[in-house]
Amino acid sequence: MLEVRDLCAGYDTVDVLHNVNITAEAGRLTLVLGANGSGKSTLFRTISGLVRGRSGSITFEDKSISKLSSNRIVRAGIAHAPEGRHLFPQLSVEKNLTLGNYARRSSKSELKELLTRVFDLFPILQEKRSQAAGSLSGGQQQMVAIGRALMSDPKLLILDEPSMGLAPMVTEQVLQAVAEVNSEGTGVLLAEQNAQAALGFAHYGYVLAEGRVVLSGAASDLQNDPEVQKAYLGV
Amino acid sequence: MTLFIQQFFNGLSLGGVYCLAAIGLTLVFGVLRIPNLAHGALYMVGAYLTYFFLTSAGVPYILAIALAALVLAGIGIGMERVVFHPLRNAPHTHHMIAAAGAMFFLHSLVQAIWGADFRRMESPITGRVEILGTQVSWQRVTIVITAVVVLIALTWFIKKTVHGQSIEAVEQDRVGASLVGINPNRVSMLTFGLAAALVAVAAGLVAPINLIYPTMGDVIMVKVFAIIILGGLGSIPGAIVGGFTLGLAEAMATTYVSAVAGEVIAFVVLILVLAIRPTGLLTKAVQR
Ligand SMILES: Nc1ncnc2c1ncn2[C@@H]1O[C@H](COP(=O)(O)OP(=O)(O)OP(=O)(O)O)[C@@H](O)[C@H]1O
Ligand SMILES: [Mg+2]
Repeated sequence: MLEVRDLCAGYDTVDVLHNVNITAEAGRLTLVLGANGSGKSTLFRTISGLVRGRSGSITFEDKSISKLSSNRIVRAGIAHAPEGRHLFPQLSVEKNLTLGNYARRSSKSELKELLTRVFDLFPILQEKRSQAAGSLSGGQQQMVAIGRALMSDPKLLILDEPSMGLAPMVTEQVLQAVAEVNSEGTGVLLAEQNAQAALGFAHYGYVLAEGRVVLSGAASDLQNDPEVQKAYLGV
Repeated sequence: MTLFIQQFFNGLSLGGVYCLAAIGLTLVFGVLRIPNLAHGALYMVGAYLTYFFLTSAGVPYILAIALAALVLAGIGIGMERVVFHPLRNAPHTHHMIAAAGAMFFLHSLVQAIWGADFRRMESPITGRVEILGTQVSWQRVTIVITAVVVLIALTWFIKKTVHGQSIEAVEQDRVGASLVGINPNRVSMLTFGLAAALVAVAAGLVAPINLIYPTMGDVIMVKVFAIIILGGLGSIPGAIVGGFTLGLAEAMATTYVSAVAGEVIAFVVLILVLAIRPTGLLTKAVQR
């Protein structure tokens, strides 16, 4: 579904990604592991059009998306819940969610259906629907971020460290929701520090180091890989 | 007491004009994070265009204002495209210089077309109405009513329509807005168009009361800056409260102290607010 080929990307004067190759299959959960600064967020930002790639190609459902702007990429079916969440802090939870549907412009009934799906996934958001998103706890804000991305009814959901800064209990809840979304058929591309938990429900994984893919394989293989165990699983 | 009521209406009408002028500036600041120094020049062009449509083209007053607002919306969008869009990644000082350039350009353009003389636009709305035992001119009543109607329409547009929401979204988080599919370029153009249309309405409303001349935008510009700092940069409710506060304060100070006091009151209030609450009166506390 998503094919990243020989991608090089970076910021003004820094090169971050070097010939990165990654595939995310439809309906699968693809995990990206990597130390701080290895380029996970840069990879995701390049896919969703926030950062321009320097060379290489990104195709989604056999169409090139590497020249498209972010708003076109959402329309194509990729939703990105970014690092740092980037919510609309003074708008209500519900408005944040409905804005998540901006690209789709769904009918009233479809919109309601999508909202119900998000509220089923995160019941607390229904309770807090009229509160300003910025007044919520970190975990709840992360739920809004994931919910907002889901409101565009994406084929591929990109999640950048959704558990960052969350308490263990909340982390578990958020990751469970991610697994649930995936099990219902939405493809997920996930960066996550909790490698142990994430490898448990991922299908395939990549390990990034200094902007290069250094290891890839089925999640179960990565789980048993001594390198991965040493670096990410604390074994 | 009659004097007080009269001045109260004067203050309200002045406040309505300040609101309409200030909201545009605060909207542009919210979306682009730049103070548009050419905002006062847009106000001035709005006054001249209303004057043109009313006297040279002979259309009715309210329609003349609407036409001026429409043309100004076009000029605002053009200004965003030609002056600010090319600078979107440049440091903020570049925007200031470019905006000052746009201001001088509009001054000269208007001078070339209409000359530098002061012009008077005869009030097309004549007569007075008795309110609470006081005679208030229909022109002032028209200003207050129009300002309130426009403010209500604007609030509805921003809170209830998809395009209005896209403005709020870009103001609050540009990256988040892009990721939900909003095109920040289109929002910038929309905001500039809206700001210019609003300031044109302000100018058209006040034109029959004041004189029209090429630098007429400069004085109001400074006051409008004071208003949006007072209300909190980027805050629409702040601009409304600030606009009416200043309008009333100015009218009262002029009457009960002196004309000079009326002119400086904006800055006295501004200095007080900055000393007591530097972020402005209505800035919402944002928790991140
Ligand atoms: N806006 C930016 N401008 C310049 N350099 C940046 C920018 N953002 C990230 N970098 C640099 O790019 C490199 C990769 O950063 P990136 O955020 O992609 O890593 P990451 O794998 O997501 O790390 P983390 O686990 O901390 O989120 C780092 O060296 C970082 O300093
Ligand atoms: Mg990151």
